[in-house]
Amino acid sequence: MDGWRSHDTVLQRCVHKLDIGQSNDRQTVDISLLWLWLLLTCRAAILKAVQLFVVFFFFIFVYHRIRELCQQFPHGITDQVIQNDMPHLEPQQRAAAINKLLSLGQLDLLRNSSGLLYRMKDAQSASKMKGSDNQEKLVYQIIEDAGNKGIWSRDIRFKSNLPLTEINKILKNLESKKLIKAVKSVAASKKKVYMLYNLQPDRSVTGGAWYSDQDFESEFVEVLNQQCFKFLQTKADMSRDSKQSPMVQRNSSFATSHEVWKYICELGISKVDLSMDDIETILNTLIYDGKVEMTVIAAKEGTVGSVDGQMKLYRGVNPVIQPTGLVKTPCGLCPVFDDCHEGGEISPSNCIYMTEWLDF
Amino acid sequence: MRGNSRSLRHLPQTSTNTDVGPPQSEARRPPPARHAPRLKPANHSERNGVAEVCVLSAEPHVFRLSSVVCLKERTSLLLSIGKMTAQEVRLCGLLLREHFGEVVEKVGTHLLRSGAQNLRTIIHETGLPLDLVKKSLCVLVQHGACNFRSGRKGPGCPTEYQASGDRILRILRYPRYIYTAKTLYGDTGELIIEELLQRGHMTMSSTVKTVADRLTQNMEEGRSMDYSEVTSAFSKLVETQFLQRCPPMGGARNTKDSGSPPTPSTPATPGTPASTALLTPESFPDCYKVPHITLIGRGKRRHSSDDGEDQKSAKKAKMDPETHGDEGIYWQVNFERFHLHFRDQAVISAVANKLDQTCSEIVRTMLRMSEVTTSPSATCTKPLSANEIFRSLPASYNILRPILDQYLTLLVDDPMEFVGKAGESGGGMFVVNLHRALANLARATLESAVQERFGSRSARIFRLLLRKRHLEQKQVEDFAMIPAKEAKDMLYTLLSQNLVQLQEIPKTPDYAPSRTFYLYTVNQLPTARMLLQNCYKTVANLIERRLFETKESKRLLEKSQRIEAILASLQVSGAEPEQLTEVEEMITAPEKQQLESLRLHINKLDSAENQVDETMFLLEAYVSSTATSTA
Repeated sequence: MDGWRSHDTVLQRCVHKLDIGQSNDRQTVDISLLWLWLLLTCRAAILKAVQLFVVFFFFIFVYHRIRELCQQFPHGITDQVIQNDMPHLEPQQRAAAINKLLSLGQLDLLRNSSGLLYRMKDAQSASKMKGSDNQEKLVYQIIEDAGNKGIWSRDIRFKSNLPLTEINKILKNLESKKLIKAVKSVAASKKKVYMLYNLQPDRSVTGGAWYSDQDFESEFVEVLNQQCFKFLQTKADMSRDSKQSPMVQRNSSFATSHEVWKYICELGISKVDLSMDDIETILNTLIYDGKVEMTVIAAKEGTVGSVDGQMKLYRGVNPVIQPTGLVKTPCGLCPVFDDCHEGGEISPSNCIYMTEWLDF
Repeated sequence: MRGNSRSLRHLPQTSTNTDVGPPQSEARRPPPARHAPRLKPANHSERNGVAEVCVLSAEPHVFRLSSVVCLKERTSLLLSIGKMTAQEVRLCGLLLREHFGEVVEKVGTHLLRSGAQNLRTIIHETGLPLDLVKKSLCVLVQHGACNFRSGRKGPGCPTEYQASGDRILRILRYPRYIYTAKTLYGDTGELIIEELLQRGHMTMSSTVKTVADRLTQNMEEGRSMDYSEVTSAFSKLVETQFLQRCPPMGGARNTKDSGSPPTPSTPATPGTPASTALLTPESFPDCYKVPHITLIGRGKRRHSSDDGEDQKSAKKAKMDPETHGDEGIYWQVNFERFHLHFRDQAVISAVANKLDQTCSEIVRTMLRMSEVTTSPSATCTKPLSANEIFRSLPASYNILRPILDQYLTLLVDDPMEFVGKAGESGGGMFVVNLHRALANLARATLESAVQERFGSRSARIFRLLLRKRHLEQKQVEDFAMIPAKEAKDMLYTLLSQNLVQLQEIPKTPDYAPSRTFYLYTVNQLPTARMLLQNCYKTVANLIERRLFETKESKRLLEKSQRIEAILASLQVSGAEPEQLTEVEEMITAPEKQQLESLRLHINKLDSAENQVDETMFLLEAYVSSTATSTA
């Protein structure tokens, strides 16, 4: 109170002096006196404002610093990093700064084995979620985390602990906003998994190159099968006709999986791009048909088609034996073999298969 | 507890699922004796069917039982004179009936079904008169199908007779033996083997005489076969061990009356049952020694005018007073040697199919070199160095040494592993892996059987399971690239035919279906056994069909035989052509056609029997090779 009273007297004196009509040099003094009065009057307020300014600039500086750190370490920074960078910062201030950035939606809070991580959030995605509420943000987060494989609605419910109706509403909302999409899984045809709109579904969900719209393309596989086999067989025949030394013959009858892949790509019978792994699965089915055998050899890193220092070689082979004697008789192929007894309804004496076979 | 409760009732029944481990691949590991005194390994049968994993808490390992409907049992793994399955007994009966008649069939099948029995029991149970039973037993013993030994209860007991089913099944393979002898030793060898197979046991001199007579019969007028040629062929057969001496009968009983000159090297002592197990012919030192006989002369041609006298002289030949120095030494065909030869042939043709003609020649050389040095049940031949192989190759092939080395490397690198490398000395030591080759051939047989019966996609699944052992249904679909529905269908068909087995691995002790893994698997050995039983049944079916067809057209056949006899007699007595044509026309054209088609049918059935016999041989060789390697 005293301060105010003294202000009043100073003000009175200043005004009084002004009223008397002072000269110019006195005017400057008067103006400076006016400032002094203002200062004294709003001292508290001004002090507060100054303090705020200081804090503000300080925090701007801190935010900027933290953001720089985040950009420097795109995988995320821990609390420790911030502390090392700005050792004079107190923990509460640090926490306050981080909370502010989080609430502004510019930082992502992640947890890993060693503690909390802060990461720069994508500016683009930050803009997308404008207008959605927290629940939608949460669901979106869960779906995003599922990545390529997508996530089932029941799993979303477990992770977010939201009731089913809410989940469904949110999912419909997000789908209409074109943020997520539903993909039917090939394993269970009734199951729908959700994933982000612009992601390519993983092979395990769509089944890869062999499935088109949840249907296994068996004719496509058959055609590929035959083409690969023909390629290997012609290669083997060519090497056999070349009449060189046997080692050279055998080595030239081999084809690496890379060669087969190139041949199939050049044939152009496939609308989908096939990878070398796809071709290897086809070649494996040929092995299970007994028409092809495979060896693995060590290859130098960098040679075309080598994976981890190995190359798979395939070659066509002939069957080891002719069809066995048992299957040349009707009994070997008979569907009612187990019911056949002498004197029964089905017996060798009245076997219709034998009659047909004998008259053949 | 599910399973064969009869054999497990005395065992602790608490099972804990912490002991569930990976399934064992062999189905019949006999448990330790102190835990399961009632389970005898000899009677432990293979059952093909759904298997479960049951865990006995007292034992550290997993013991597998089976609990299913369709059982195809084959007991007795160890001894060849064991019990036989119903299919085998049926087949043996049919073979005996065809070759020796119904009486012998009755006695033989009775002995096969009931094991060793003495004479009185046989008479009582078959209801046949004494002399007929005696004669049939003689026939069986003569052919080596029946063995006798003193009674088990003590030295005073009457002798017991036991039939050997394996020997009877060999009758099916006679045409193959004769053909092999023909390819190796010409007509002479063929006839020698044929005579011995027909008569069972014969002395060398009588064989030589009979064969010379037969050969002379087929030669042109004025020429005849010298005994010495036949003798030399006989000696060659003995040298290569295709013929062997019959074990003297005295050696099989107690030593009291073994006064005969070739004393057995391991005399059988009375009262020890183990030694009354068969002494193989090889246990006698003189097994392959050709006796010195004095046999000079030539074959006699039989003229048609001597028909009546020949009947008498044929009978007299058996009681020929001439002695040639080899009385009491009887010879028989050595089936095991023929089987080794067949096995070698199978390996060589497999190599030729898979690789190259030249490779198969190399393997043939290697096998020929190790014929006498390798024991019949060996896993692989003795190591041969590349130098030796090079020297022994037939000159016509003209292979250079470095090329030979390349071929040998190719053979070693082949995934089928016919030939293996055993060392580096002498340019590389190589062996032929016999057991592995047999296993590969058996596997190829199984695969071909599945392929022909169920289609190539089912065959793909079968091969996939053979390679990868245990797979879930989803994995089967993925690896085989077959749509899910069809794959499921095929798997279930194979499962219902017992070609594929299902292994359950539970996650919880209550075997809840949603919490159990179901793995499909193929076990090669039990499946091979099952296919072998199918082969027996198939051959029996073919024989029965042949007999049926013959019976149907019996009247027609008799008529045609009568007409042929009339024709022959007319021709001999010099009738005119019109009479001949008149007689020929007694058979009408449709009857001729029927006869022709009957002949075709019978030929087809015969050749089918031989083909199935080839499969049987491969599978039997594989099964016995695994038995010896695990024993």
